[in-house]
Order: sequence, then C-alpha cells, then structure tokens
Amino acid sequence: MSTAASLHQSRKRKNGVMMTLCVIAAGIGLAWLALILGALLYKGLAGVNLAVFTEMTPPPGDAGGLLNAIYGSIVMTIIGIVVGTPIGVLAGTYMAEYGRFSKLTTVVRFINDILLSAPSIIIGLFVYELMVRPMGHFSAIAGAVALAILVIPVVVRTTEDMLNLVPNALREAGTAIGAPRWVVIRSVAYRAALSGIVTGILLAIARISGETAPLLFTALNNQFWSSNLNAPMASLPVTIFQFALSPYEEWQQLAWTGALIITLTVLGLSIFARSLTGRREDR
Amino acid sequence: MKPMLSTELNTPEAVVDKAKIEVKNLNFYYGQSKALKDISLSLPERSVTAFIGPSGCGKSTLLRVFNRIYELYPKQSAEGQVLLDGQNILDRSQDLNLLRTKIGMVFQKPTPFPMSIYENIAFGVRLYEKISKAEMDGRVEQALKRAALWTEVKDKLNASGLSLSGGQQQRLCIARTVAVKPEVILLDEPASALDPLSTAKIEELIDELQADYTIVIVTHNMQQAARVSRQTAFMYLGELVEFDRTEKIFTSPREKRTQDYITGRFG
Repeated sequence: MSTAASLHQSRKRKNGVMMTLCVIAAGIGLAWLALILGALLYKGLAGVNLAVFTEMTPPPGDAGGLLNAIYGSIVMTIIGIVVGTPIGVLAGTYMAEYGRFSKLTTVVRFINDILLSAPSIIIGLFVYELMVRPMGHFSAIAGAVALAILVIPVVVRTTEDMLNLVPNALREAGTAIGAPRWVVIRSVAYRAALSGIVTGILLAIARISGETAPLLFTALNNQFWSSNLNAPMASLPVTIFQFALSPYEEWQQLAWTGALIITLTVLGLSIFARSLTGRREDR
Repeated sequence: MKPMLSTELNTPEAVVDKAKIEVKNLNFYYGQSKALKDISLSLPERSVTAFIGPSGCGKSTLLRVFNRIYELYPKQSAEGQVLLDGQNILDRSQDLNLLRTKIGMVFQKPTPFPMSIYENIAFGVRLYEKISKAEMDGRVEQALKRAALWTEVKDKLNASGLSLSGGQQQRLCIARTVAVKPEVILLDEPASALDPLSTAKIEELIDELQADYTIVIVTHNMQQAARVSRQTAFMYLGELVEFDRTEKIFTSPREKRTQDYITGRFG
C-alpha cells in the first residue's frame, strides 16, 4: 500500500518536473518571437508614414520612402510565383498521380528535399553564374528566376503531400465512372486537395518575399525607380540589408519600417494559409 | 481435390437466360502471388449475382476484374477471358473508359466527389454526352429518383455531396452510376459501412434495379446475399467452390466447404 502511494508521489513529482521544463522551453521560444515582433513594432511603426509608400529610397542623409523597393519585391515575387508554381504543381502531380509507383518519383522526391533545404545563397550564386555573368549585368529577371527556383521545391512538396492525402477510393470512383485519368486528376483529385495546394503556394510566397541572399547576386539593388526587368531592381530585403548596415539614421529608420512591412505581410499570408487549412479540417 | 468447374456445370437452371458476363479460366496475380485460380462462371443478364466468402478469398478481386479497375495499380494482372456480351474485355484493344461507362461500380465506402450533389451526377454524364441544361436537369432528377434519393435532396441539389449522411452518400453513388446508363452494376460491399436502415434501403434499391441491370454484389453478409441475389458464388482461397441458385446454396449446397461456411463453422 505504502509502495503504491510513494510510487504515485514520485510519478507526480516527475510529471511536475517535466511539465515545468516544457513550459520553460516553450516560453523561451515564444519570448524571442515576442521580442522580435515588439522591437519591430516599436522601431518600425515610428517610421510609418505616407512617404514610405510614395517616395523612392533617398540618398544618404535625406528623407524618402521605400516605394521602389516595395514595387521591386512585389514584381519579382509575382514573377517568381508565376514561373515556379506551374512547374511545382505539375511535378507534384506527376509524383502523386502518374508516377506514384515509379522509381523516378523516389529519386525526384529525394532531390527535391535537398533543394528544399539548400541555403538560398547557393541558389543566388547558381543564378549568378547562369544568367548574370552571361548577360553581363544584374537584372530583375535574374532575381525572379532565383526566387522561382526557391518556389519550386516548396510547391512540389505540398502538392505531392496534399494529393497523397486524397483517398484512393475517390480516384477509383472517378475511374470507375469512365473518366480518363487527367479528368480524374483535374476534377476530383485537385478539387479535393485544392485548399492544401493553395496553402503551399501561399507559404512559398511567404518564404520568397523575405529572401535576401538570392537577390544580392542577381537583382542587386537600385536607388531609383526602375520597371525595367533587364536592369537591377530594388527589393525590400536587399534595401533593408543595405540600409541597416549604414551609419545614416534616416536609412536605419527605413530599414526598420521595411522589416515591419515584410514581417506583417508574411504573418498575414501565414494566417490566411492557416485559415484555409483549418477550414479544410473542419469539413 | 480441386472441383472441376466448367462453365456449363456452373450455369444453374435459373440461368437459362442470356449470359451477360462469362468468365473463362480466369487467373489473377498480385505480383507473384496468385489471387484467383482458374475461375469460370457465367452471370445471367438482368439479375443479381452475389459473391460470398471469407476475407481474402478473392471475391472483390474478381469484381475488380470486370471493369479492369485493378489496372490503376502496377503489378496486378489478369489472364484468361472475361466476355461481356461475347466480347473479351481483357483484350488489349478494349477501350477502358468506354468499358467503364458500360460497367458501373459502387464501392464499400461512399465516395461522393468533392462537388455539389447535382455535379456529382452530371460529372459522369458530361464525360460522354453533350446535352442541354434542361436535359441534364432531367437526367439528374431521373437518376436520383432511381436511387430513391430525390425526395430527400431535391431542395438542396447545390449542396456539397459530402454534406449528406453515409446512407445518402451511398445512394448518391448509385445514382451517379445509374446516370451514365451502364449495363452492369458492380457493388463492392455497398452496405457494409451503413446502419441497418440504410442497408435495407440499399437492398430494396438493388431489388428494383435488377429489372434493368445486371448486378453483381460482393458481400460479407450472408443474409444479405440470401435476400438480394438470384444466384450465389461461394469463393474460398482464390477458388470458386460453388456457384448455384441462391436458395440451393443456402439450403442444400453440394460442397462441404460451402456448407461449413454458411453454417458458420468457419469464416
């Protein structure tokens, strides 16, 4: 009797210790996030005004905005997504549907996983060698290509995973009614996996909109307004990188504000993506 | 010890009608392992045939040969002959999608497509027919009436097929199958995931449908086989043990193994 009670006591103690450790660990993790967000809001909000969205990046010591950098980020992100998404979705479709049982799929999945975790600076260097050197100059299009290469593995992965979640019974049912394979994929499998695939694309947008390294070697930066895809283009991450390192106060302030804009955008996209998946699970 | 089962021997007296499907010396393989061993039988037109037997006996496998759905998976192969109206459907030249419009299938778990009730039915029709909206409305209504689902869903045709109850979903799947006007309907344990009331509805439906369709049903439930079918095939370990009129199988089977199974001595 007393052994049972003491066993119970010691188990309760161990449980208490483990729980405290877990809570502390979770607290430490969350604290950094809160600190970063807090610092961003505190430093960044101070610089938010209309000029940020209407004026170009200023020369040192002058007031200005981030318009050209915001524009550049949006343009290169859009091109990166438009180029990368179809490739990623189609490749994921091959792996989950047509090539489900093939050796090639295993190989592609392995390579894709490597690409997924490749440091983005390597992608930047790769595109530098591939496009910037032959062309002889930095360009927005090279930046967009580097971003597209980052998009592909993310979208491949989510598309394959989401299609694999579609029950086989549904494919069999579509096939049994006489639908050719591509109709089953388009009208049944895609439809069943839609919110998951869209979530993957949103996450890809979130990922590339904060990337600096691949743009440093490709799009470089631009002090002025430029909509020429064949010329260097400003972007928020590179501008933040440059301004934050500078000794000028106005630049540092703009870097904080730019960081806040990116963070809120990515946060918003992630929450939106979450809500899409959440709705899926409710159904 | 293997029973000799020629097609003639396995055409019971009730089966004087025209044969819709004739299986001749069918073998089936999952990779190297043989799942169906030299199956021969003949299914009469416009009547219900039940396949019974313990799990893994090959009854679902046999059903899945009839519309060649097994070909979705590599390493599954069939050899022998399956004649649909005298045409060998295992022939390489057979157009699979066309075959599957003639031979519909309903699965164990209800599988409504992720679209509206209306679209679930229009989907299959649209694949092979170009018809007007009005005609399509008629087809959808007709199919839903045929599946005894119309009164329950007529006011919410645009609701998702997934919003229906399990029994309704299964009837939606039957409606969807009927809508493409098949000649044969394959039912793979269609009621095993349903409650008794929904099961009764499905069985009633099967009884009505046999006036127009050749129906093959795989079932674990022997009472169900006895209730709905005109002839029953008992399978065991990939072999067709016995095939006869249903009342004969359940009252005076020829084979001891059949007797043991239906009396619950194994399986």
